[in-house]
This record gives sequence, structure tokens and C-alpha cells, in this order.
Amino acid sequence: MASHPVGNSNHHLLRMENVGKVFQMGEVAVEALRNVTLEVRDGEFLVMVGPSGSGKTTILNLIGGLDGVSSGRLWFRDRDLTAFTPGELTRYRRDTVGFVFQFYNLVPNLTAYENVLVSTELSREPMDPLEALRLVELDERLDHFPSQMSGGEQQRVSIARAIAKNPALLLCDEPTGALDFETGKRVLRLLLDLNERLGKTVLLITHNSAIAQVADRVVRLRSGQVVEVHDNPRPLPPEEVVW
Amino acid sequence: MSVLDRKLHRELRGHAGMLLAVTSIIAVGVACMVTLASSYRNLSEAKKLYYAQCQMADFSIELKKVPLSELDQIAAWPEVAAIRPRIQQYVAVDLEGVSEPLNGLALSLPDRRQPVIDDIAVRQGGYFTDRRDNEVIVNEAFARYHRLRPGQWIKLILNNQQQELFVVGTSISSEFVYLLGAGTITPDPKRFGVFYLKQSFAEEVFDFKGSANQVLGRLSAAARGNPKEVLRRAEQRLSDYGVFTTTPLEDQMSNKFLSQEIKGLESFAVVTPTMFLAVAALVLNVLLTRIAQQQRTVIGTLKALGYSDMQVFWHFLKFGLSVGATGGLIGCALGWWMASGMTRIYQSFFQFPELENRFHWSIHLTGLGVSAGCAVLGCFRGSKAVLKLRPAAAMRPNPPRSGKTVVLERIGWLWKALSTRWRMVLRNLLRNRLRTLAGIFGAAMGGSVLVNGFMMEKSTQYFLDFQFEKVLRSDYDLLFKDERGREALDEAAKLPGVDRAEPMLDVSCTFSNGSYRKKGSITGLLAHAQLTVPRDLDGRPVRIPAHGLAMTRIMAEHLHLKVGDRVIIEPIKGEKIARTAPVVEIADSYLGTAVYAEIHYLSRLVGEEFAVSGVQVLGDGNPRHREAFFREIKQMPALQSIAGRKDMVRTLQETLLDNQRVIIDIILLFSGIVFFGSILNSSLVSLAERQRELATLRVLGYGPWEIGGLLFRESAITTLIGTILGMPLGYLLTRVTAAAYASDMFRFPIITTADIWLWTLAYAAVFALLTQLAVQRAVHKMDWLDALKVQE
Repeated sequence: MASHPVGNSNHHLLRMENVGKVFQMGEVAVEALRNVTLEVRDGEFLVMVGPSGSGKTTILNLIGGLDGVSSGRLWFRDRDLTAFTPGELTRYRRDTVGFVFQFYNLVPNLTAYENVLVSTELSREPMDPLEALRLVELDERLDHFPSQMSGGEQQRVSIARAIAKNPALLLCDEPTGALDFETGKRVLRLLLDLNERLGKTVLLITHNSAIAQVADRVVRLRSGQVVEVHDNPRPLPPEEVVW
Repeated sequence: MSVLDRKLHRELRGHAGMLLAVTSIIAVGVACMVTLASSYRNLSEAKKLYYAQCQMADFSIELKKVPLSELDQIAAWPEVAAIRPRIQQYVAVDLEGVSEPLNGLALSLPDRRQPVIDDIAVRQGGYFTDRRDNEVIVNEAFARYHRLRPGQWIKLILNNQQQELFVVGTSISSEFVYLLGAGTITPDPKRFGVFYLKQSFAEEVFDFKGSANQVLGRLSAAARGNPKEVLRRAEQRLSDYGVFTTTPLEDQMSNKFLSQEIKGLESFAVVTPTMFLAVAALVLNVLLTRIAQQQRTVIGTLKALGYSDMQVFWHFLKFGLSVGATGGLIGCALGWWMASGMTRIYQSFFQFPELENRFHWSIHLTGLGVSAGCAVLGCFRGSKAVLKLRPAAAMRPNPPRSGKTVVLERIGWLWKALSTRWRMVLRNLLRNRLRTLAGIFGAAMGGSVLVNGFMMEKSTQYFLDFQFEKVLRSDYDLLFKDERGREALDEAAKLPGVDRAEPMLDVSCTFSNGSYRKKGSITGLLAHAQLTVPRDLDGRPVRIPAHGLAMTRIMAEHLHLKVGDRVIIEPIKGEKIARTAPVVEIADSYLGTAVYAEIHYLSRLVGEEFAVSGVQVLGDGNPRHREAFFREIKQMPALQSIAGRKDMVRTLQETLLDNQRVIIDIILLFSGIVFFGSILNSSLVSLAERQRELATLRVLGYGPWEIGGLLFRESAITTLIGTILGMPLGYLLTRVTAAAYASDMFRFPIITTADIWLWTLAYAAVFALLTQLAVQRAVHKMDWLDALKVQE
């Protein structure tokens, strides 16, 4: 099946060209992505939807420089990520990308504040960690360890950690997946605010189609392929989304 | 502090138990290194300084009597830097309030202070004065033991005459760092002293006007490498004056003991710490592999955040380095403290002007460097595997381990016979090979150290029993100045309290067999002597042949002789006619290089009918008789010295065994730490890795003791295998120890009795059980409900 070429390449932040990814699991090769071509535009809120195993996380990992492609090309602005050395990839992750993980991936023996600090210490133009935590309304819980916080709070720390280093691109892997409905909506609101107020490009992946209603653009994936891309002229505010 | 350092800090605290195990093993290894290397440096530096200070002789020649003018030519040889003729005589000492006769060595010294070869260092009082002829300087240890002070008078029997001498000072000298009396192997300051007399007085009293019976010499720098050649020529040159022995520095008794000890320290400063540090590196490896695996997600996240591989590796390395540095610092401190102890032990054996435990920066820095290196080595593998992963892969949970069957499962009948618990234990052991190997290796090192300790203890006991109960059985050996006839034996037999007296004839001679030559002596004994009984390795008496020699194995090996061969004997004294004699028996001895012959046969060999140079006596054990015996002995003018076997054994026990006891206690402690550290580490890592599995077992109804039991089975198997493998290693280690300390004078018997192995197993079992208590505590503390929760 052919994938849909999308968007207007003049404003793209990121572009995937015929990207394939194969995982070697022992003696079995699993094809996670097949011929994916896709663009991410500067400043947009893009949601990628698909059932589990559709290749969402793989795409996110490739875009984030956490993993390498098996075939195809991947461009960030005019730079070819697939040609990056490990050192260049590290710098790319350090300066350009912010990650928000489904299970937060906080360092368990660091406090909320220190978990943000872990990222700002690396960065060239970081936010004040306190400011980042204030943005996620957690400035009262600076000294709490992850185990002393709820899932929603942990996810907000994870978001604060991602935005604190001022990345151009925020990659969110099922950020509401482990959260209850109300908390999930708060997290979505936060991400939208960051997109609107700070102008961050947000790429969010989810298996939950309802969330796609808040996006500027939606990409649907199935079995490692892009099956649909559409613009959403009237995104809903998260408060009105129901799932 | 950077935030990653804070993480590190908390992790270190969180793994305190496991880290304690590794840290203590590293500390033990570094402590061993610092102790042995510091002791080595303390001793070798003290030796160097002292030898230079006293102008230690490079050789000595002992002869009957040589006119001083005859020595000029030797002094002029280019190889000889300087010589010093000296008078030396064995003397008897009669101290007030001391009933038993004491021996000593009288040596001449210039009347006026001047630097001489084998000089003395005055400790108390001063040098000779012009006020009296009969002044004496007493060696410090003897003076201290008998509370002799400058200004006191003492009585010596010099040349059969009792002389009163005025003590002007006490002294030490580099030639008597390890001061031995005749026939002893440990210093005994109570019974043997050195007495320095004025040259003029010694010449007078010993009738040595213008002559000497010992020549000390220093060689030119070029000749120092080959003193034997100079000595050979000197011996030829002086052959008319009855050369008894020529002794290069390397064979000088005190130097030999000291150098042997230094040599031993040098080699063990490498061997022992390496063993401990290898265990530490392996254990740290297991631990860090575990921690890195446990932190896969954190590592992946850090990398996703933009941390480079180097930064993450450095973070892990710091973990290892902290452990290494802590272990290194503790080890350095412990090593410093133990080196002080060792130095104190050496102070009791060796007489130095200054022997103290110095702080050797280079050793401590090396210790820290080695411990850090071992920690880095341990870190490397642990973090490498995880660092290699791309961040995305690192954040995915660890793929399940291969569930393949283990080797044992292929032995169907065996596998079927095992209970489920044993199957779980065996699978776990075989699937975690590195951890299992680390456990086995740790136990092997611990076991080998235990075997080494037990064998050393056994060897010493065996040595004392063999040499002083089975071979030498007299209570006292009376040695005469000159050879005497049968009347000497009768006289000794009539002494009060003497149950048995046997004659002895000691003939110093040179043995040769083709190109192999060796100086030594033949001891003539009665054919059925009971007070000296040569024996073979199994302790069976070796017959003293009516014709021919019974030679100790080491002497026979030196000379490349076997039973049936003939050896040329050239006596040093008397007629000096070379004769040949057959080697009829080979005896074993751990002390000296004795050669035995029947006394009548030996007498005839040196052209006498029946000659006696000493008498061995066995007392009746009555203390009153002993006092009378001592009184009479003191009146015997022909007596040169008296050696008490029981006294010697007692001294040996006091020094050798007591010090060894301390060393063995330290060995037990150290091996305990190695066992404890490696078992604890394996078990805790196993517990952490299998939390979910073990928690599931809890749900299924297993109690904490049963869970602990599973872990104990694992550690019991590794400990047992390791300890058994460690046994031959320990045996080898003991052989290496014995070889390092073996000399003509003294050899370590290698004793292997069943109880050595049993004790080793018993100790290993005790250590394993004690460790299990700590593991069990961790099992009890485990939050198994938490462990069951789904983890990312």
C-alpha cells in the first residue's frame, strides 16, 4: 500500500521519506514500519493515532533520535538524521527534542525538582526548572520523589522536564495513557498551552482516537503504515473531549 | 553537586548492603598489599641504611689463627676494598642470679673508636675508655633482658678463666640483625649475647698477639657480584692457617634470615592482594551488571534527554570509583595499621637501630590506584551492555532471558529425580553463568586462603614435632671447644640428673662430587643413638650405617648424590686428608643440611680412634637435679656452649607459633570477608533480579524461609564447588610459600592431613550460614506485594 505524501514542504520541521524499520527479535525479524513518508510542520499540534503495534512509538523514537531507521531517510529541517553520528544524535536529543513518556520515566531516586534539573543541566538555553514546574503547577511539590506523587503529577513532572530545556519539538508517547480521564484532560490542556503560548511543535501519539480531536492535524497508522492524514480545521479544547 | 551525582549518592546509600560486601573485599585486598609492601619497604630500607651505617662486611673468613702480616696481600687485591681482622671466641657467661649457663660470642673491637667493617651502633653508655683494659660492650637485647647497664660488672669465662668485665655500653650491629646462638633458629636474647672486647685485651686474654681468627672484608663495587671467586682465592692463600669457613654476605646467617623474609614479603605483596582484588573485580562486575540492567529505563531516558554515552558511562564509573576509593581508603588505613603490627613482630625478631612503620606514599597511592583500577574493571562490563543499546531499546523492558534447557536437563534420569526447588536452583545457577562463576571464584579464593592458613599452622606444628621430638631428643647438648676422648662422655654421664649421655662428633668438611661442592659437617653418632634419630619423611628412623653416611635429602640433592654413590670428604680441621665415603642412607630434615655417620667410623675417617666434640644428655626431669647440673656445667672449662632443646622449643613456640596464631586469625578474618562478600553479593543480586518470580512464589504459599532456602541452595552449591576447587589452589599457594622461604637452614614441611580439608569445609559452611542470615533478613524485608505490581 502506498503512503500519503503530506503537507507543504516549505514549512516542515521534520520529514520522513520511505522509512522502514525492522526489529530483530532473536531469530525472528519483525517489520515495525514500512515505507512511511510523513511531515511534521513547524508549530503544529500533530496527533498520531493507531492501535498498539501500529508503529506509533517506533516513529516517535526515530524522530526523537532514540533509534535508527532500517531504510529510508529522515530529515530535521535540512539535516539528514539518518546520517548523524552517535555524538550528533546526542546533541540533537539534547538541544532539539523534549520527550514525554507514557510511564513518565522519572529517575526514581531524584526529586521532582532534580528530575527537571537533570535535563536543564545539559541544555544551552534552559528554562529555570522552577519556572517549568510552575507551568505544570507543581511548584509546591518540588521535593517529592516520584514514588510520593500520583500518576498525573509524575506525568506533569515529565512534561516540565521535557519543556525545561526549551526544545523545538515535544514528543509525547501516550502521555495520558496511564492517567484517569480528568487528569488526562489536564495534561492535554497543558500540552496545548505549551503549543499555543510557547509555540512548541507537539507530536503526540495515542491509541485513543478521541484525543485526535484536539489536534491541528491527525495521522492514522495501521500495521506500520500511514493510512490517513487529515487537517483538523476546528480543534476542540481538551475540556470538551470525551473518552 | 550535579544532579546525577545526587542520584549516584542516593544509589550508593540504597545499595549499602551489597556495596559493603564489595568494599570490604577490596579493602582486604588493598590492606594485604599495603601491609606486605610497607613491611617490605620498612625492612629493606632499614636493612640498606643499617648495612651502610655499620659497613656490613661482604664476606668473612673463619680460620684457626692467622698472623696479621699474612693478610696484607689480600688487602692489596683490587677486588678487596678493605679488610678487618678480628678475634672471635665463644664464651660462657655467668650472671648473678641465673642458674643456667649462658653462652655468648666475644668479638674484638679497636681500643679507640674508629669506623670499622661490621661496626657497632652504641645504644646506651659509650665506647671503650682508656681507664681499664677489661671493658665490655654488650649487645642491647641481652643487656635489656638481663637488665645490664653501663657501670655494672659481669663475669665471662674467657679462655677457661673467669674474668670480671666492666660494662661501658650496649650496642647493636648490622651483622646481628637476627642474632642466633649455636644450633638455634630463633633469637634468644635470654641465653645468648654478644660481647665486644678491646682488641688489646682480646689479644692478651685469648693469646692472639698479632693474629686473628676471623677476617672481615668489603669488596670493590666491581667484585661485589662475585664474592665466591675472591673467597676461593683467599681460602687458597690462607690454607696454611686452617680456614674453617668462608662466608659471602649472602650466606651470612643474620643476613640470610633477613633477606629471605624480605624476599618472601616481596613476592606475597603481589600474590595475595591479586587474589582478593580479582574476587572484588568479579563481584563488582556482577553487581554493576545488575544495577545497569535494573536502570535500563533510566539510562534510556537519560540518553533520550540528550546525555551522551560518555556521560552515562562516567556516571556508572563514578559508582565503581566510589566503591573502589572507599575500599582503597579503608584498605590503606587497615594496611597501615597492620603494617605497624607486622613491624612490631619484626622488631621482636630483628634488631635494628630504627625499624618503624613509615608511611610510604607510593604504596598507598598504588593501593588506591589498584583498587580504583579493579573497580573500573568491574564497572566496565556491567555498564557496557546497557550503554551499547540505543535509547529506545534501553527503555523497552529487558527481553526475557533465553528459556532454553540447561545442560543438566539432558541427563534425564537425574533431572527427573530432582525436586522442583532443586530444578529452579540449578536452572538459575546455570543460566546466570557469570554470577555463578563469581560465587565459585570467591569461594575458591577464600577456600585457598583458609587451606594455606591451616597448612601453615600444621606445618609449623609438624616441623617442631619432627625436628625437636623425633630427630633431636636430648635435653641439652654440651659442645666442647676442642675434640676430646671417651673421658668427656663419662664425665657428662656422671653429671647430676643425667639419665642418658650420648657422644657426638662434629667434623666440618667440604663435600664434593665431581664439580658439585658444598661445605657442611658430618655428625658422628652412636649406631643406636636415641638422642639424635635421623628419620625419613614418614618419621621412620633412618639407620646410622656402620660404614658410610646417612645424608639429608637436601644435601644429597645439592651434591647430586643418591644412595650407593661415593662422596669425597675433605675435613677442614686436623689432617685434612681427603677420603671418600659411600652414601648409604637418605634422611629427611627440615633444619640444616646434616650428614650423619657412626661415631667410630667418623673418628677413624679423621684419623682418630674415638673422638668426641660434644655430648647430648637427657635429664631426669628433677628440677633440683637440674640446678646442680647447671652448677657443675659452669665449672667445666672445656665447655664451649650449651644448647637446650626444650628452651629452644619454648622460644620457638613463643615467637613462631604466637605470631603465626595472629597471622592465621587475620587469614580467617580475611577469608571470612571474601566468603561473606561474594556470597552476599550473589544472593542479593539474585534476590533483586528475581523479585517478581520470588514474590509469585510467596503468593503461591512459599514462606520467607523457603524463599531464603532457595537462595541458600544456590550459595551452598557455589560455595561448596568453590571451596573444593580452592583446596588444591591453597595447597599450591602453600607450596609456593614454602618454596619462597626454603633455604639450607630451614624448610617448610608440606603437610596434608584430612582435618585441613575438613576444617576448610567447616569454616566455609559457617561463613555461608552466617551470610545466609543477612540474606534472610533481606528476604524478610522484601515488599513482595510491591514486587508483583506491573513495572514499566
